[in-house]
Amino acid sequence: MAAAIEAALSTFAATVLAALLALVLGSVTLRYLFSTGLVGAEVAGLWLFLLLVALGMPLAASGPLSMRLDILVKLLPQRLRLLAGVAADSVTVLAALTLLLGGIDAAGLMGSTSVVLGLPDWLRPAALAAGGALLMALLLLRRVAEGCGLPVLLSVLVGAGVYALPVDYAASWPPSLVALMLAGIGLLFGAPLAHCLLAAAALAVPFGSALLLPALVTNAASGLSRFLLLAIPFFLLAGGLLTISGAAERLVRLAASLVGHRRAGLAQTTLLTSLLFSGASGSSVANAAFGAGTFYPQLVRNGYPPAQAGAVIAATSVLDNVIPPSIAFLLLAAATDLSVGALLLGGAYAGLVMAACLAVAIHLVHRRTDPMPRVTGQERRSALLAALPALGLVLVVVGGIRIGLVTPTEAAALAAGYALLLAVAHRSGRASLWSTFRQSAIEAAAIGLLIGAAAPMTFLLAVDDVAGMVTGFVTSLGGQAVVVLLLCNLVLLTTGLVLDIGAAILLLAPILLPAAVAAGIDPIAFGVILVVNLMIGGVTPPVGILIFVVSGLTGVEAPKLFRAVTPYLAALLVALLLLCLAALVL
Amino acid sequence: APVFLRPASARATALTVASLLGEDKPETKVWRRIGARLEQRLPGRFRFRIVTNGALGGEKDVADGARLGSIQASLSTVSTLSAWVPELQLLDLPFLFRDADHLRRVVSGPIGHGLKQRLAENGFVVPDFIDYGARHLLAKEAVTRPDQLQGKTMRVIQSPLHTKLWSAFGAVPVGIPITETYNALATGVADAMDLTASAYAGFKLYEVLPYLTKTAHIRSSGVIFFAESFWNSLTEEERAIVTEVSAEAALYFNTLMRQDEAASLELAQANGGTVLEPEALGAWQEGARTVWMAFQEVVGGPQVIETVRDTA
Ligand code: NA
Ligand code: NA
Repeated sequence: MAAAIEAALSTFAATVLAALLALVLGSVTLRYLFSTGLVGAEVAGLWLFLLLVALGMPLAASGPLSMRLDILVKLLPQRLRLLAGVAADSVTVLAALTLLLGGIDAAGLMGSTSVVLGLPDWLRPAALAAGGALLMALLLLRRVAEGCGLPVLLSVLVGAGVYALPVDYAASWPPSLVALMLAGIGLLFGAPLAHCLLAAAALAVPFGSALLLPALVTNAASGLSRFLLLAIPFFLLAGGLLTISGAAERLVRLAASLVGHRRAGLAQTTLLTSLLFSGASGSSVANAAFGAGTFYPQLVRNGYPPAQAGAVIAATSVLDNVIPPSIAFLLLAAATDLSVGALLLGGAYAGLVMAACLAVAIHLVHRRTDPMPRVTGQERRSALLAALPALGLVLVVVGGIRIGLVTPTEAAALAAGYALLLAVAHRSGRASLWSTFRQSAIEAAAIGLLIGAAAPMTFLLAVDDVAGMVTGFVTSLGGQAVVVLLLCNLVLLTTGLVLDIGAAILLLAPILLPAAVAAGIDPIAFGVILVVNLMIGGVTPPVGILIFVVSGLTGVEAPKLFRAVTPYLAALLVALLLLCLAALVL
Repeated sequence: APVFLRPASARATALTVASLLGEDKPETKVWRRIGARLEQRLPGRFRFRIVTNGALGGEKDVADGARLGSIQASLSTVSTLSAWVPELQLLDLPFLFRDADHLRRVVSGPIGHGLKQRLAENGFVVPDFIDYGARHLLAKEAVTRPDQLQGKTMRVIQSPLHTKLWSAFGAVPVGIPITETYNALATGVADAMDLTASAYAGFKLYEVLPYLTKTAHIRSSGVIFFAESFWNSLTEEERAIVTEVSAEAALYFNTLMRQDEAASLELAQANGGTVLEPEALGAWQEGARTVWMAFQEVVGGPQVIETVRDTA
């Protein structure tokens, strides 16, 4: 039963993603070939994305996409672990009820009609309400199928009980602080991050939060309705299609022909391929997954210890979100109104600095691994030729934005369309194409839900003027750029330890940026430093999403990977230091 | 619904106000003024929390928040509120309003009164209308006649009214978020757009769109609004005071905006921008007529448009 619903939902979500791609590509085609526009294409795209998130959120509630902090829970004895599981499921129940009941209330209260589409706006909270209902239904079905009928019943009772708690606490603490603490508690139980954020914002209402449930749901809906964010599903799709089209392997061959003969040649090849792949993909998770599938077996076969091999892959995949295109920069631009173009350019420089530092680290770590044989110029040329279609993708994305033919979102759609052509030309079967669409749709939904779930929290932080407090505090310290930068780095690195990159950007960027600007730091440079900081968090314990992905795909235990990645972590921190110095000097 | 959903009227003195721009902009200054005046008239009655820089979301999000109880007051353009009151698009009809005074007379008269009533029915209590200034045409190359727009890619607001207007002149509309506009125009995704002079200077668009043609095709009008739920928590006397203070602040806002507009045009010209006067006004108005025709039923019939034109 659960499996049947999951299959139906993922098919539906993949179809919505395909429609979204067709819509954006169609709008570009109309503009350039027929000199006419598609009225409302943008808004229609946002509605489709919302639908995608609503359909995909129940599917993203398990697996690595759920972004659970379960490292502490795993340390508990068996019986307590079961209790923590009940608590975590209660958080999911709370989030589902918030979406369901808040969404229904909001749908009844909206009353507006989209001027562009002519459709009633209540459809949007209603979609999230349906998502909440599906989330709850799938949770129940899954747990019952796992033989945990009784515990999940307990979770529902606890969740519903807390939800209906008839309390009104005197608000002596800022509601945003209460909400953050509640979210932290949920995270410790091992509940999915997005569910923690939603449940915490809902539970902050009796503590004086201004965001009543209907407003909370519309807030989440509008949080993920930003045109720039539409690029996310497309970049995920482009990365997936690139892999199944075989184009990624050609990038590997090209990289190997260029650096394979050096010391630790295969590891350097991994780095260079990751760099090339980064130019076409916007997701570090996709990059890590690709590296784990492509390089891990080869590295191990060539005498690299498994943990070492996995560490190289995880560390080099950090580059993907720094080098354009980058989902992290899209999120940052959406959260702060900085220009995507300027951020991406800054990211390109930062990515090259990081890659150089990683190259040095690989060189130093792998003293004893044999280089691969040096290839002839002829082989090198043929490798380049074979990789041209894949490199063309870099041109489409970066060139499309820089030359100004298309907006960033359209460039992402073109990249996905281009990768789709490559995959079709490579005769990738319909089944593998379709499964790539499904996978990307679910990943996009997971990211989208997180963006939506972070929105109510940012709203509460804004009402309590936390950014103003931070700026005030920083100014009281004298407000020198170097002090501010040091403090921000500390905050960001600490946050990166536990919080997912996307959520951290959405929550912290609006708070830290004003303080940095007040101290005279260039906002774009600061934005780049912020993303680099948080990306480094992807390879640090206890929550390191890139380590988790590599661990999940290679079977090497996460703690071993965390240990093996240390030298690369040091290299990335050196890169960060260089970037900070550049920001202060330039 | 859970019990804690009930709005707690005991906390009604706290007033969350959303402003899209920073402290030094009229959008925020107007609320500082209202807050200060109300403190004089009704000491301790309200606690204003003015959240600036669009931290609470865009105009539509803020308006939604007002209906759903998370935000108590803000400014809004009438375009956004036409999602509830389509008749408001009357104020956005191109080349209908001759100047600021004409618009002011219309919104101060029976038409404005009727629109306020429609807004109140939809949960937005409006003490007064405001004027963000005229929208002008901005372009990479000098455009003074409508036929010069033929085939040009134009960044437009995603609204049927705007799309229809520029399509009537043969321009190709493209939707670009305002934050990406500078880049998109610098690199060439679009050749032209329309905006108020203040925003033109605010986004430094004169660097990429050096030609501003003073078409003043649309007077960008808006309102000061309070959420109905907040309004209902006030006594009759308090409402009168808030209305009076807000109406005075609306005029203050208009004055600030006019000063900002003049300063912005000077700034643009000092930085290499060129300000042009439109030619062939008849042809511009011709294109605008298609919009009037398309929207005359929505705004309440052709006679309403006639009434506006006849307003002295
Ligand atoms: Na990238
Ligand atoms: Na981490």
